[in-house]
Formats: sequence, C-alpha cells, structure tokens
Amino acid sequence: MVKKKRSIHETATTVIVDDVTSSEEDQAFTDISKNLAEIRKTKGVVGYILRSTTSATIDLKEPEKIVEYAILSSQVLDSSREISDLYDLGDVESILIEGKEVKALCMVIGENKISIFMEKDADHADILERVSP
Amino acid sequence: MNNDVYAFALKNTLDEIQNICPDVSNTFIFKDGKILAKGETTNEKPANNTINAFDTITERADAIGGLEAVTIQGANGRVNIACMNDFYLTTVSSKKADENYVNTLTRVLIPTVIKLVEKIHPTSTDDETLTVEPEPVEDEVAEENEADNAEIDENEPVEEETATTEPTEEAETPEVDDEPLLPEPPVTQFIVENLGGLLVSSDTVRIDKTVIAEWNNLYGDKKINEVDVETLDGITTRCKFKPIKDEKHKGKGTIRMPEKIQLTLETKKGDLVMVKPVVE
Repeated sequence: MVKKKRSIHETATTVIVDDVTSSEEDQAFTDISKNLAEIRKTKGVVGYILRSTTSATIDLKEPEKIVEYAILSSQVLDSSREISDLYDLGDVESILIEGKEVKALCMVIGENKISIFMEKDADHADILERVSP
Repeated sequence: MNNDVYAFALKNTLDEIQNICPDVSNTFIFKDGKILAKGETTNEKPANNTINAFDTITERADAIGGLEAVTIQGANGRVNIACMNDFYLTTVSSKKADENYVNTLTRVLIPTVIKLVEKIHPTSTDDETLTVEPEPVEDEVAEENEADNAEIDENEPVEEETATTEPTEEAETPEVDDEPLLPEPPVTQFIVENLGGLLVSSDTVRIDKTVIAEWNNLYGDKKINEVDVETLDGITTRCKFKPIKDEKHKGKGTIRMPEKIQLTLETKKGDLVMVKPVVE
C-alpha cells in the first residue's frame, strides 16, 4: 500500500505542496527543484511552479495567486502543445507568455513541468539558459 | 470597400513580411477571435485552431494582468502571437529564422500599416466584416429565413443567426463607401491680422487666394464654405471665409480676422492660428 503524505508548509513567501511516495524520489525533480530555488533568488523572479507526475513545488511571492497561476501554467502547456502540433514544431522546448504585469516562462523537462513567473523587465533568456538541461 | 482596403493592406504587408523573411512560413492577424488577414501560405483551419488555443490561454491570463504575447519555441520552429494596436499578429517561423529580425520587422510594419489604414479610413476597426473571406453563413441563413418566412419570428436561434448576418451583408453591399476617398483636410498656419471696416462681415475671415485654390484643387467638386480656426491654446471656431482682396496682404501667410472672431478665439493680431477647410 502506498503511503501518501500531504503537507503544506507555508512561510512568508513560500508554499510547498508535497505529494510524494517516500521510496520513489525523483532525482531529476530534486535537481530542478534546487535549481529553481536558486533562480527564485534572482532579481525580478516572483515565483515558480514545478510539477511532476507525483510531486509539486510552488514558491510564489503572492501565495493567494497559487491557484490562478497553476491553472494558467497548465493551460499554457496544453494549448502550446496543440499549437505546436498544428505547425509541426516538434517537441515544445519553452513557452514565454507575456502579460501586462508579469511574464512567465514555461518548460517541460522530462516529466517535470516548470513555470517561472517574473517581472516584465526580468531577463527571461538568462533564466531559460539556467534552467535548460 | 472600407474593410476590404483594410484587409488588403494587412494581407499585402503579411505577404511582404514572408517575402523578406522566407523562414516565416505562416502569418495571420486576428481580432476578437476572427481572422482579419492572412498570408498567402497560411491555411484558415490551423489559424482558427491557433486562435482557439490562444483564447483558452487568454481566459486564464487575468493572473498576469491579461495576455499580450505568447512565444512557443519548438524543436523545429517557433510560433509568436503578439498584440499590436488591439490586433493579434501570429507568425510561424522555422528555427533558422532570426527572431530579433522578424520581431523588429513585424512590430514596426504592422502597427504602421494599421495606423495608416485607420488614418485613411477612420471608421471602427471592430467591424466583423474585416474578414478577408466572408464565410458562406449568409447564404444558408438567407435560405433558412426564406423557408421560415411563413413562421412567426419568435424563434431565438433564428434571431441570433439574423444578427450574425448583418455584418456579412455589409461586407457584400458596401453602400457606405461609395464615395471617393477624401484626403485629410490640410492644416495651414497663419498669422492673425486685423480686419475692420463698415462693410466687413463679422463672421468671415479673409485667407490668401492661393491657399483657397489649393483646397479647391485638392477636393475638386466638393464645397468648401467654412473653415475651422484653432489657436495654439486649442480654442476653435468655425467661420466663413473669403479671399484676401487687398494686394498688400496677399502672400504673406496672414489671416485677416474681424474683432468678433478674435474675441471668440481669445487671440489678437500677430498670434499664430491653424486653419483647416471644412469639406462638405
């Protein structure tokens, strides 16, 4: 029987949702998670969402927007795959969505789906480089 | 005609972009979920599917303050959808394409063309009839309407469909734009000169004959009986005009103005005013 642990740790700026089977820790997920934690310290980065099939890490400056950001990033990844198929773009490497206030960089690395939210003037190219495998 | 010109201008611009950048394979412009113009090589179906996919993102984009642009980088190419003057331009390019070059080109050309067309045809761009290729909805609806003529028209779907036909009918019957295109009235600057005398009409200014002749040349048969005079402070009045008769005032860039109009405009001799003909 799989033992499920679900906990929410909330600090001033961080919310982490773990849904992990202790025996199946994904090394890639951990590595990306560490990398994102570093990127999070970059000026202009307002947070990120990392999801794998079994786990999720969320760190956002505005925790009240977690749901909105999570739905948006999920929709972006789905719609981008549709658009990519329409024009034979192949595997989607990255998606940049620019809003009036915030922009987001979304990527899929293996089973891990990443969305990094940042201010409009942040250097997304640099962040993309840092997060790319 | 107006909308056709709009679509024509945008379509040509898109084609030119693709000519200049052969690595750009598809281009189209849409607004409110409808394609306004598309490049020669762009198919309507994938374009519409792209719009639908984009709209689903837009619906969720309140969290980031509304959506302005999306760039999808794939292994073989890239799709960019960017908002420009309330229009959305989509470009699909191969991986070889120089992203900065394409972006620079499109972000200069498209807004310029949109502005130009808006200036030439200052009617609303919200009109759905901007669509290049009207869909064959109208015929079907017309047939349905004919068939349903005997019935009482309290059927909601019929009402809705009738509503959707209005713009397409407009597209096919361009009655509004039968008149030839008139150029924007030229604005001429003049220095105010006093105009007085017993026989002087208080509501008429005097303008150089050559300027009046230029207006007449520009507008041909159109009547120009009045001018709008505006001061640098933004005060405007409309008044009649006549050519300057006095030889010593001709060709000096002055407008001879009765005191009453000067008071209305809060201007005086020596001040600069801008004059624009009122074309009827």
